[in-house]
Amino acid sequence: MTMDYTKCAREIYETLGGRSNLVSAAHCATRLRLVTVDNSKIDMKKLENVDGVKGVFSNNGQLQLIIGTGTVNKVYEEFLKVSGMTAATKEEVKAAAAAGQPVFKRMIKALGDVFVPILPAIVASGLMMGLVEALGKAFPSFAGSDWYGILDLLANTAFTFLPVLIAISSARVFGGNIFLGAVIGMIMIHPNLINAWTVGSMEAADIPVWHLFGFPIRQVGYQGHVIPVVIAVWLMCKIEKWLHKHVPEMIDLFVTPLCTVLLTAFVTLGLIGPVFSMAENYVLDFAGWIITVGNGVGAMLMGALYPFTVVCGIHHMYNVIEAGMLSAAEGLNIWMPIASAANFAQGAACLAVGLKAKNLKTKSVAIPSSLSAALGITEPAIFGVNLRYMKPLICGAAGGAAGALLGAMFHIGATSYGVTGIPGFLITLDYTVQYAIVLAVAFAVAFGLTWFVWKEEVEERDTNAGTETEKGEEKTASGEKALFAPVKGNVISREEIPDETFASGVLGDGVGIEPEAGEVVAPFDGVISTVTDTRHALGITGPGGMEVLIHVGVDTVNMKGEGFELFVSEGEEVKAGQKLIAFDIQKIKEAGYSTTTAVLLTNRDDYPDFKILKKGKTDTMEKLFEI
Amino acid sequence: MKEFKYVITDPQGIHARPAGEIVKAAKEFACAITLTKDGKSGDCKKIFGIMGLGVKKGNEVVLTFDGEDEDKAYEAISKMMEENL
Repeated sequence: MTMDYTKCAREIYETLGGRSNLVSAAHCATRLRLVTVDNSKIDMKKLENVDGVKGVFSNNGQLQLIIGTGTVNKVYEEFLKVSGMTAATKEEVKAAAAAGQPVFKRMIKALGDVFVPILPAIVASGLMMGLVEALGKAFPSFAGSDWYGILDLLANTAFTFLPVLIAISSARVFGGNIFLGAVIGMIMIHPNLINAWTVGSMEAADIPVWHLFGFPIRQVGYQGHVIPVVIAVWLMCKIEKWLHKHVPEMIDLFVTPLCTVLLTAFVTLGLIGPVFSMAENYVLDFAGWIITVGNGVGAMLMGALYPFTVVCGIHHMYNVIEAGMLSAAEGLNIWMPIASAANFAQGAACLAVGLKAKNLKTKSVAIPSSLSAALGITEPAIFGVNLRYMKPLICGAAGGAAGALLGAMFHIGATSYGVTGIPGFLITLDYTVQYAIVLAVAFAVAFGLTWFVWKEEVEERDTNAGTETEKGEEKTASGEKALFAPVKGNVISREEIPDETFASGVLGDGVGIEPEAGEVVAPFDGVISTVTDTRHALGITGPGGMEVLIHVGVDTVNMKGEGFELFVSEGEEVKAGQKLIAFDIQKIKEAGYSTTTAVLLTNRDDYPDFKILKKGKTDTMEKLFEI
Repeated sequence: MKEFKYVITDPQGIHARPAGEIVKAAKEFACAITLTKDGKSGDCKKIFGIMGLGVKKGNEVVLTFDGEDEDKAYEAISKMMEENL
């Protein structure tokens, strides 16, 4: 069949309520996916009747028009011309649909998306760094050796240049050029800038400053920072996209990257930098003050707040406090137990996630990250795991608070600084027992709370709201092998289906459903493997290759599609609960046929554990079979 | 290997029930049996394999039998097709 793509696109466009009602458009293998401002402005009736549109439905704020493989891309191209839109990627359509989510949630999600891809680089590094540093403390002779030198260098590289990794990953997440992102990351830790870790020990007056237009720009780097880098690259992507749109193509290649990097770098060093260094100073003053507040209450508070300051990347100044304490008359570092309890608790929360999670990916990230945190390197645990699910972070904060309170009550003082967690024993030699109690309590509280409060699936859904595919993967990954009722009605045994072929089981094993509502939904996430022209039956293949035949009514093939409406096409991916067929119960009865709908697992022989769970009344999406 | 060519006369084509009957018959034989229409083939021992072809009245289909008991299968299934479809 040849089709007039332009006509089809124009007719679709005319039903949508004008250009101003359109947010974005994209297409997948079979469907045109549109996001509109107001779905009610669309003339659905007319849209459904457009020649070439095989079906229309709306899902998660997206309007999906089924057009078909090979034609949808052509209609899409024409649609862009007709509507005057620019091409959107599927991601952009999803993002626009997700825009309804709260800003905070989207920020946490973005941060997770940035951190997860770089975890392979930093989880192992974190573990190795913790070990090497601990060994260096334990055996001073090792600390001076060549082996220490080279191992330390290898271990801390990923952390020393962490902003570059974060910048690249952020650029990918926010849709900018990753190489420009890398440049921004590198600018932020350029060796000509003062290292962020040494700034704390310098006199404010000694920090070199540039003066531009009367604005002072402190020449300070962002080593170990996370949030400012993400913000800088996010900004860069905005600038880059804007410039791409507005700079003439001929000079785009030269002008856009140049202006993007220059503008971003100025704003970053000139604005984001000062804001953060101001925040750092406030945090520093606050931290120095609060731990002196009576009877460990202040320490407890600090223990709770600590991980949040790590998230904001303003914990780099704490060694100033520690160094100050050590140089004072009594010379003991009472900050260290607080940090240690907080870090150890985050590790414990992360471990709880790792042990409780069923998802292998979550497990494989969480367990090594928790080990690394136990050695004092918490970034992988906090950013890779706890912050993504939020609850573990808070449970960890509670553990940190408990541990810090105890630490203050025991008056633990460390003789040095720079290590926390298990290696921390080495600098608290006079308090070994007390320090052990602090860690044990922090661990127990954080682990216990996380274990009871955090639930995998609910959390997964929360953090992944809007990205349906991940949910689907989750379902199969967690090993759920089930089929949900595709039709609402009364479940009868296969043998009772008033048709010999179905009843005999030759087509597969399953049940019949005497429908109460004329709607068939997908019984699981799967792919439509076959549809019939008469729209009364379809085959769907699900997780693990289970093939299910859904046949509405008996002998209804004779109705030649009359009274049936099909919403999917062959090869289309569907989600559990998605509408597949609508049928008119009355019409089937009038035509003199049984409405009993057969739901059969056709390759039942492959599933020895197949079990029918339901008899009698069922609603759609109630568990029907287990395999 | 044996082949059987046939033009479908049943007004409904090969829909779910006859497809099921073909599957039922085909499963009784050890040989591989495929149904081909317009260059697209399906395994006769799988209901989706047959239904996916969307065979209608007037379509010419080719059944191929390949294996030990192909003669018996040929006989049984071609007879069934002629009688029912």
